[in-house]
Amino acid sequence: MGLVAQMDQISGGSFILTRMDEVINWARANSLWPLVFGTSCCAIEMMMATGAARHDLARFGAEVVRPSPRQADLLILAGTIVKRMAPRLRTLYEQMAEPRYVIATGACTISGGPFVYNSYTTIRGADQIIPVDIYVPGCPPRPESLLYGILALQKMIKSGESLREPGIRKKPVVSELPPGVKLEDITLELRQILGDEGITNIPEEIARREWSTGL
Amino acid sequence: MTVHISTLNDRTTVPENSKSSLNTQEFFINMGPQHPSTHGVLRLVLKMDGETIREVIPVLGYIHRSIEKICEHNTYRQIVHLTDRMDYLSAVMNNWAVSMAVEKAAQIELTDRIEYIRTILAEMQRLQSHQLWWGVTGMDLGAFTPFLYGFRDREMLTDIFEETMGARLTLNYIQPAGLMFDIHPDFVKKTKDYLKYFKPKLEEYEALLSANPIFQQRLRDVGILDREKAVSLGATGPVLRACGIPYDLRRVEPYGVYEKVSFKIAVGSVGDCWDRYSVRMEEMRQSIQIIEQLIDNIPEGKFITKKPAAKITIPEGRYYSQMETARGVLGVLIVSTGKEKPYRFHLRSPNFNNLWTITQMAPGSRLGDLVAMVSTLDLVIPDMDR
Ligand code: SF4
Repeated sequence: MGLVAQMDQISGGSFILTRMDEVINWARANSLWPLVFGTSCCAIEMMMATGAARHDLARFGAEVVRPSPRQADLLILAGTIVKRMAPRLRTLYEQMAEPRYVIATGACTISGGPFVYNSYTTIRGADQIIPVDIYVPGCPPRPESLLYGILALQKMIKSGESLREPGIRKKPVVSELPPGVKLEDITLELRQILGDEGITNIPEEIARREWSTGL
Repeated sequence: MTVHISTLNDRTTVPENSKSSLNTQEFFINMGPQHPSTHGVLRLVLKMDGETIREVIPVLGYIHRSIEKICEHNTYRQIVHLTDRMDYLSAVMNNWAVSMAVEKAAQIELTDRIEYIRTILAEMQRLQSHQLWWGVTGMDLGAFTPFLYGFRDREMLTDIFEETMGARLTLNYIQPAGLMFDIHPDFVKKTKDYLKYFKPKLEEYEALLSANPIFQQRLRDVGILDREKAVSLGATGPVLRACGIPYDLRRVEPYGVYEKVSFKIAVGSVGDCWDRYSVRMEEMRQSIQIIEQLIDNIPEGKFITKKPAAKITIPEGRYYSQMETARGVLGVLIVSTGKEKPYRFHLRSPNFNNLWTITQMAPGSRLGDLVAMVSTLDLVIPDMDR
């Protein structure tokens, strides 16, 4: 990029570049304009988090909810995405201005949620269609979870892109693991646990187990 | 005999000699599927003559999650959890409808305690659903404050639900043969406190929004629905009652403990948006009354009559049962072959039928009024598409 090359030639240029990165990222992180894409149940909890009485998204500089993709830079997905909707979602994403961020709230946008088995229409996770930055789990996630997701996104933006390396995003979820622990270790351990229990026939397991119901 | 199936393409092609006064041309616009005032992903294709609507073609399927098909692969207990996700504003009532169908078919006995708690919770949910509708309708018609008020009061009910059921929206509380857990020890007290708090608030709602002349003008004589049309399209719930037909399953085919309580059925006279609005406001009052009559008399007893691990099988045959949710009649049809899982599972959702009334009321009115009609129909799109 022309700017970076020019700045490198003058003395103190790289210092100014770094400062500029900080200012730009700070501004981006604190003035997110979300486009809310609510298709089903999660949308109610998202409305609760973004605009309604108890929680206030304005505290985090993200209250200007826009129904138009061209004025938004954060796409909040709330609700199941089905095959018929997928092309529209992709279009909406393409229409947003760069740099754009995506938060997927709810089990459905993460993996298909309750509709992952035997459904002939559901998309198993929004990241099959568009890149997702932050995943907020839950069915539906509490409004507080979504707010936490937005905070995590702000952290990501602040430590993220620079003028030298545009397009690089550092995910805070991974960078905040305790020192010495890697993501692969966690995955391995989880597999181990699932394998040890060796549960394949779920109905049989239900019939076998004792349930405490106060009967 | 030939059957002509008209596709959307056929219907949206403007004929050369389109009949309109002056030298104008009819044109089509799309409302949705991503539109803030269609409450979800409903798509309405509008045939317009200037600012006047000539025809409305609803297009569905943008949130079709194949729930009915998934149900065929699940046991009767598992099905209940999917029903929360259909009409998520009447989650308890959806749970109840399916549980009731299963209980009737498998002839499972219930205790009085179960019936009382179910009825109370259903009415609380109706209240909550109408609160949300009130707020959103206000917002659709240009008043933002109702949205905040409606959500504020709704959130307090959600807290009460959360204590007892552990969830805020998808409640998963009623299951075949009983309830998931017993009610929280504080439930009765908190509910009574809430009702005491909410009754004056309801009057405030009326003063804030219903008494507003601009709001009244946007609703009165807008979107008039004919009685015969409403019946023939299968509209139910407040939409049907607003036309002056006092059809309410809670009275016509009582279930739960609705026989033991006294309440009035709110009916309208003209069938316009204002009637639909007033019917729902009155229903909130009636719900409060029903809860007040029941809340002090919850009998002791078991909260579930069958072990959750026990299999539920339904004898071979077809079974149908229905109940009144916040939006109308939810019907459940189970076709069983005597196994643990249904052979076919069909749901008659109230929103689907209510939606089609818009094709009758909208033609001839202005585009701005369509928003008022859609809001007062109180549609939940995932329930239509399932
Ligand atoms: S994650 Fe759960 S609550 Fe959210 S849209 Fe999917 S089913 Fe509904």
